[in-house]
Amino acid sequence: MVKLLDSIGLKSVNFGYIKGKKIIKNIDIDINIKDITCIIGPNGSGKTTLGKLMMGILRPDSGEIYLVGEDIAEMSLGQIGRKIGYLFQNPEKQFFSNTVEDEIKFIPEIKGLDKKYIEEKTALLLDLFQLNHIKNSFPLKLSQGEKQRLALAAILVNEPGYLILDEPTKGLDVERRKVLVQVLKKLHGEGIGMTVITHDYAFIDQISDRILKMHEGEIVEDKRNER
Amino acid sequence: MNVDPRTKLVIVLCLSTLAIFIKDVLFLNGVLLITIIISLIFKTNMLQILRKIKRLLYVLLAIAVIQSVFSAGGRTLIEVGELVILTTVGLQKGLEFVIRIMIIILSATIITTSNSREIVQGLVQWKLPYEIAFMVSIGIRFLPILIEEIKDSVIAIQLRGIEIEKIPLRERFRVYSYLFTPVFVSTIIRAQKLSMSIEMRGFRAYETRTSYTVLEMSYTDYLVIFSSLLCTSALMYLYVS
Repeated sequence: MVKLLDSIGLKSVNFGYIKGKKIIKNIDIDINIKDITCIIGPNGSGKTTLGKLMMGILRPDSGEIYLVGEDIAEMSLGQIGRKIGYLFQNPEKQFFSNTVEDEIKFIPEIKGLDKKYIEEKTALLLDLFQLNHIKNSFPLKLSQGEKQRLALAAILVNEPGYLILDEPTKGLDVERRKVLVQVLKKLHGEGIGMTVITHDYAFIDQISDRILKMHEGEIVEDKRNER
Repeated sequence: MNVDPRTKLVIVLCLSTLAIFIKDVLFLNGVLLITIIISLIFKTNMLQILRKIKRLLYVLLAIAVIQSVFSAGGRTLIEVGELVILTTVGLQKGLEFVIRIMIIILSATIITTSNSREIVQGLVQWKLPYEIAFMVSIGIRFLPILIEEIKDSVIAIQLRGIEIEKIPLRERFRVYSYLFTPVFVSTIIRAQKLSMSIEMRGFRAYETRTSYTVLEMSYTDYLVIFSSLLCTSALMYLYVS
């Protein structure tokens, strides 16, 4: 089997939450880590489950998943998390601190990074995601759009090489969505690829290189998008 | 077996009382056997429960060693130099603890064969204030959700690039302390939302309540309750004498 070094590869992957009821059916794809790949499909088609399998949160019932040539079954979640940033559909799940600013800072602090670097990086991200005015607020009390932006900022402080974003535009107004598109395009320009799980077709049109359409656990359409 | 949830509560109460009262391994084994038989009669998901209880084997080992090191007596089974690691008394006490916990867990699963609405109704008909009975049912319903949330938070923190198993113990405690915030706060927020929602649906709008479901004890229920109390008393008497 060829293990591509520039892709996330899924080989004959099957998965079900309940025995005998498959949610993901025999999926075989290679996702180029330089691309922006969008996964679309109706509710319950398996988009989020596929994202969680790619991230190692769920383990496949059968089949293999490779992250740039490495079998993710042999990697810990922490190891995967260092390489890929994951945005949960419900960003509340990934908040751990008492203020917006601390939420961005606390992982680099645990990793023991240089204090000056952490301060600069945090200021940059607060600015980029327009979070400065709420930097002392409690993350779980923010609006949905603010939570979404904070979750993204907290992921990006880790400088991941790839992103998997589950419904990143959920709760964002037109202006904030525009900003998000700019940020994601900028990151893409810096060589960070991403998989975006979304229903937002206008957003897909603006950023995607490749579109995968899912239906009942299978990829039924795979096409390139000319931007 | 189709019995009133109050009958099941009496059975659970009897079995748990026996598990706490009896301190003899042989007697406890007997009570465990009775608990398994009753659980099978009520068609509980025994395999799933046993899989979870399997983890208690480590607790057994830990308690056996701790008891052996700190309590004198019994025949020494393992020793390192002067230090006694495992004795027959330690092993016996560890075994007693695990069997006791198994009885309590297995008997508690009998009550889960009734739905939470029936349990609340049973408690209300036992003259327990509805608010308290409702609180108990919410507690039962939200426990699995809470466990799921803790698991999700552990996953989420690892996905931020933290390799928990590789960081030093002191730092690891610091990381775990971060888990407290999301779990605690989301529980409070959920409780607030729930209370708002039930108030809006007219909770305690009137002083008295009527119920669509009214439980009625059958002769079988009375017979099972009487037999349970009788057997429990007999076993306790037998054990004491």
